[in-house]
Amino acid sequence: MSTDLIKKTQGFDHLVNMNEGWVDRRVFCEQDIYEQELYRIFARSWLFVAHDSQIPNPGDFLTTSMGEDGVIVSRQKDGTVKVFLNSCPHRGNKVCFADAGNARRFTCNYHGWSFDSAGSLMGMHEEYCYDPGDIDKSTHGLKQVAHVDSYKGLIFANFDPDARSLEQWLGDFRWYLDILLDNEDGGTELIGGCIKSEINANWKLGVENFIGDAYHAGWTHDSGTRAMNDGQPFPPIDMENSFHASINGHGWEFGLEGVGDLFLLGRPKVIEYYENIRPDMARRLGEMRSKIFGSVASASIFPNVSFLPGISTFRQWQPKGPWKFELKTWVIVNKAMPDGIKDEITKGVMQTFGPGGAFEMDDGENWENCTTVNRGVVTRQERLHYRCGINRQINDHPVLPGLVYRGQYNDANQRNFYQHWVDMMEAPTASDIPYRWEPKFSGLETRDFAGLDGLENGGK
Amino acid sequence: MTNGPVHAEVPSIELIMSLQQVLYKEARLLDAERYSEWVEMLAEDLHYFMPGIETRYRRDKTDQVGDTTRMAYYNDNLDDLKKRLRRLETGTAWSEDPATRYTHLITNVEVELTDQDDQFRVYSNFLAYRNRNERDQDTLIGNREDIWRLKGSSYELLKRTIILKQNVLLSKNLNVYL
Repeated sequence: MSTDLIKKTQGFDHLVNMNEGWVDRRVFCEQDIYEQELYRIFARSWLFVAHDSQIPNPGDFLTTSMGEDGVIVSRQKDGTVKVFLNSCPHRGNKVCFADAGNARRFTCNYHGWSFDSAGSLMGMHEEYCYDPGDIDKSTHGLKQVAHVDSYKGLIFANFDPDARSLEQWLGDFRWYLDILLDNEDGGTELIGGCIKSEINANWKLGVENFIGDAYHAGWTHDSGTRAMNDGQPFPPIDMENSFHASINGHGWEFGLEGVGDLFLLGRPKVIEYYENIRPDMARRLGEMRSKIFGSVASASIFPNVSFLPGISTFRQWQPKGPWKFELKTWVIVNKAMPDGIKDEITKGVMQTFGPGGAFEMDDGENWENCTTVNRGVVTRQERLHYRCGINRQINDHPVLPGLVYRGQYNDANQRNFYQHWVDMMEAPTASDIPYRWEPKFSGLETRDFAGLDGLENGGK
Repeated sequence: MTNGPVHAEVPSIELIMSLQQVLYKEARLLDAERYSEWVEMLAEDLHYFMPGIETRYRRDKTDQVGDTTRMAYYNDNLDDLKKRLRRLETGTAWSEDPATRYTHLITNVEVELTDQDDQFRVYSNFLAYRNRNERDQDTLIGNREDIWRLKGSSYELLKRTIILKQNVLLSKNLNVYL
């Protein structure tokens, strides 16, 4: 996004201080700050727009939002994906009103301007009314995003022509993403459909909860945990053998016990399935990542995608003003799984992390109240405490890439999320966004490296 | 909804009245969070189903209701439903205390005979109102298609399909049974 499109404004670095460990609550409620987030974060970040499995065939499309910009994600005849604004260049009306489907044309209801599945303007109602020279159809298609790329099934788009590549954006977080996306041959797919709900809370509260807040789980979700597992409480946390790992705003918190998240799903057949494939997973991804899988863990991709590896909920927090977000919920499964296992996982996810889920119900209530209290002008100027584990960074972990911290009850990933937030809010251009973790696996297939130590001997 | 074949015989007034009373009683139990009594009204082989409904063009033939492998708010058997309800018995369901205030309105009750002598198809519409804390409130409206099975002198719910008339659930959660 060129800087002239970004409204000049005051700085943002007075709103968070990650060395001291606090966040000013105005980032969760003020309209001016929110508008700047749309320009500086959502219009410049790589945003998840679809999973390959949602639009498998030419002409398949879905509609979604990048920030508050509505877009159409459309599969082309050659298998590539185009992403363009869902807004007619004539008077601005939406050209598609469906969540998903298959279409050869997107035609505007207003004056019948018609666009093909690549977004090119093909014709309009009563086209004779335009004299020669009135319009060049070749330059009046639906506005394309600057970049589209994908990583192991996840399709991302970026409005910013100057953006760094998706590989650079994800960086070494790819090593962690492989635990979710590449733990078995064939990769992943999303279960059909999408559950959307509306929560009166700031979008960042959902992201930061999943990026690192294992701490809330044993308390907020005591009731959900006991409900799903015959009265058993939240599994104990091993603070020595659990971690936060942060890479340029993305974050994954995890234990190494291998079973915690699987236990929370409450589906014995699913645990059995994963235990059967775990030896293969260890051969495929290395010992460390096979232990991370299924452990008590949660993760977010900056800025607004989160998931629980092992529980298989996959979600996006779509901003709708500072006081509201729309939560899109999917279930992510391995393509190779038998239908019965996919079904067990889907039901388990919706019983835990759907709107009627035993875990989800307590989260939404918390986030709404964390947000709405800031209607008070005194309250909103209070700082929030983010110092948990502030001195627990591990330098030079031999295996784990990223900024790594010991103990999964920690605010480390949250601090690094807000650090990246302020880095992007301050950066004049994409190239000014600092790398807080320089990528080590550039140009390499991260699946093939058991860890950082593998870099010296070429893999496992 | 299945809209199965209408049985040639017309249900008696008595049958219609008794099934209507069952629906009203169920609503009264749900309003009062008397879930253990509600569970008594459910069959061991229950299927309780509320699919997510995407907005799609009329020409799109995706089976959003009949395909039970797609995303659904509820796709539960009796054990699944009991698990959800167990959360309220733990005493640590923080967001349920103070309690939500519920009212279910049940209307448009229509009874059909089926090919099974002891099973009856019952259509109804619902309006479920929720109010929490000071002014937190929402209203859920939609259709239901049930199969109720004769059990002793009463009926048990064997199958329910709920169609909520929302694309985006305009609420933060679904701590309510419809």
